[in-house]
Amino acid sequence: MYIIRNKRFFLIIGAAIVALCLGVIAVFGIKPGIDFTGGSLMEVKYVVVPEKAVVEAAVEEQALGEFAVRHSSSEAGEGYLITTRDLNESERAALEAKLLSVSDGGELVRFTSIGPVIGQELKDKAVWAIGAVLVLIIVYVAIAFMGVGAPVSSWVYGFMTIVVLGHDILVPIAFMSVMGELVAAQVDILFVTVLLTILGFSVNDTIVIFDRIREKLKQNRTETRRNIPVPGGKDEIVITYTLLKPFGDLVGQAIDETMSRSINTSLTVLLALLALYFIGSSVTNMFVLSLIVGVIAGAYSSIFIASPLLVVYQEWQDKKKTKQ
Amino acid sequence: MKENSPQTETFLRFFKAAVVLVIVGIIAWFINTNALGDNPSQPFKLGLDLAGGSHLVYEADVTKIDPAEVPELMAVLREVVERRVNAFGVSEPVVQVEKSSIVAERESNRLVVELPGVTDVKEAIKQIGETPLLEFKLLDPDRLAEQQTLESLDSLVKNSTTTIAIGNAKVNGKEIKPEDPYIDTGLTGRYLETASLEFANGQGGQVANEPLVTVKFNEEGAKLFADITRANVGRQLGIFLDGELLSSPVINEAITGGTAVISGQFTVEEAKTLSKNLSFGALPVPITLASTQTIDATLGAGVIDQITKAGLLGFTLIALFLIFWYRGPGVVAVIALASYVLISLLIFMLVPVTLTAAGLAGLVLSLGMAVDANVLVFERMKEEYLAGKSSQSAIRDGFDRAWSAIRDGNVTALLSAVILFWFGNSLIKGFALVLGIGTVISIVSAITITRALLLVLPDVKRNDVGLWPWLFKTGITKK
Repeated sequence: MYIIRNKRFFLIIGAAIVALCLGVIAVFGIKPGIDFTGGSLMEVKYVVVPEKAVVEAAVEEQALGEFAVRHSSSEAGEGYLITTRDLNESERAALEAKLLSVSDGGELVRFTSIGPVIGQELKDKAVWAIGAVLVLIIVYVAIAFMGVGAPVSSWVYGFMTIVVLGHDILVPIAFMSVMGELVAAQVDILFVTVLLTILGFSVNDTIVIFDRIREKLKQNRTETRRNIPVPGGKDEIVITYTLLKPFGDLVGQAIDETMSRSINTSLTVLLALLALYFIGSSVTNMFVLSLIVGVIAGAYSSIFIASPLLVVYQEWQDKKKTKQ
Repeated sequence: MKENSPQTETFLRFFKAAVVLVIVGIIAWFINTNALGDNPSQPFKLGLDLAGGSHLVYEADVTKIDPAEVPELMAVLREVVERRVNAFGVSEPVVQVEKSSIVAERESNRLVVELPGVTDVKEAIKQIGETPLLEFKLLDPDRLAEQQTLESLDSLVKNSTTTIAIGNAKVNGKEIKPEDPYIDTGLTGRYLETASLEFANGQGGQVANEPLVTVKFNEEGAKLFADITRANVGRQLGIFLDGELLSSPVINEAITGGTAVISGQFTVEEAKTLSKNLSFGALPVPITLASTQTIDATLGAGVIDQITKAGLLGFTLIALFLIFWYRGPGVVAVIALASYVLISLLIFMLVPVTLTAAGLAGLVLSLGMAVDANVLVFERMKEEYLAGKSSQSAIRDGFDRAWSAIRDGNVTALLSAVILFWFGNSLIKGFALVLGIGTVISIVSAITITRALLLVLPDVKRNDVGLWPWLFKTGITKK
């Protein structure tokens, strides 16, 4: 009940988080990786790692336009990551030969070159995929909660789920934006996977609480049936429900009763993610870190934002009715 | 329905639990003998990012082709490239046609070539790219004349030491522009059946013993060739290889035999290579390399090792937490979770699902999600149990009442997985597949394995004395 009683406080915190995230994204922006913009990424490892300036000079010499050289350290060894525009085979071969010549024991670890058309297409796909998931979820939640009836329409449950999702997506995006500023992290296709996973995750968390609200509503209501005679036909039966307790109280109970489940589930997922983060591969580190941020945001929002919003909506609806 | 006696009921409960445990044991043994060890008969299929290799994406230029014919042509292209790739001996190459998604602004047809173990793509790209594109084009004499006029004008201007070049001009009141004097006939290397090396016999103006390439068209091509030659007797037919004019013989009569001779002052070696390349398959459509990706295998090996370790650590942490918090049922959940992992691995092995770094991360992540179904049931069970129900009926009610939440939560996860799979890109597809399979298995393992094992635990009530009543409670409190 604590959460519902202090719902304004929690909703203000939620709004502050959203505002902060929007601010961060507006200031730092998002750095799309070559998956979306097209371009090349070459990772070269060395036995004797040369100075960064040496590598930069070597790339400069190839006259490939703008480029970036970053230090890299992975399972394969120490070396550099070189990003340039997309390269054709002969440009690649020339750059590779040049880079391997600057120091001893050089070896090409990986090379990716993506044409701008494919990058653009992937970007479109990402936007469409996220849009499609959102629409499907809102429809599914609305249908699954169809029987819920008064006092809040099942579409509102669907809508609130999406509002919360907006919060859950914004947080990892803002995180990526900060990471882009700090360690030059780029938004790649794996990050889109993170967003879509968090969508599924957060909606799961929210639905479990809504499910309990649905159950509470069914347990705590009386049903009245009225037969309205229809001239020349069968009587139309109108069922109205009267809640025995205030809606806010029922929602509060539902949150309390699902609290240990919400915490335990998020905790186990976090345990798995933390294990991946600390001893997992550096290849997936950024992926795992943004998932951790997203899972925490998702757990927080489904408890402290989704259900309080339902109550606020219901109170607002009531006020409007009494005014009329 | 006939009611069973209590003894039969008890027997059935134990029997079900035993069956579940035996099946899980067999799966574990099966995976261990077939996929692990030094020389597995059915190893897990690893993605290029783990096993190392090259991933090439070619873009096909189909602008000159009737859209209705494109799918067939792409299939031919795939076959041709696959033959070439197989020719240089890569184990299990993947060559597939991919269409840009419906949301893309521009429709494009692509050919994806995956070469496991090949990190030196230079040779591969060269061989794939070298496949010749053979075209037959008719010479338009009027256009040729126009072009020659234009060229001579151009050279006149150039000779007069100015820097102006003539782009177009009016000849007899008609505007002429630089244009290809050769017109597409639609006859290309895709209609080819075989090509062979021959030597000219010195008749009909040929240089004796000049190496020639004789091509034989398939039925469709032979008909097309006959039609073209019949309608254009007296005109020149240009033969182009990779866009370059080889020769431009005059058509003397309709050729119905379905063979054509290509001469182009070849050396014997050149003619041999050309005929071999043409036999191997001339590309039906021109292709350009749109993206390349090569990954060194040493990077991948480290990734597998680390993700396996992370998975084991994650599993141990989750197991400790479950046993600490849920006690008796927690132990059951750990067994169910282990079964979940085993069943997932079995499916990955049998389908086979290509495992990528993202996919393995997805598996470890879905481990966390699989716990959720168990936690939902246990929390419900605890409520019923603490309300005074016996453990057996608390278990049954717990499952019944948790079902709607498990269902609604997992359907949305499945929807996301389906969308992700549709979202394309092999990397994402691997992740989506693991997530989707994981979601389905987690439901099944929770409602069958967990349930069967829980039901063989003794039937007790919260106020009974002894170990079992304590084991059914949760948390760190004493209540």
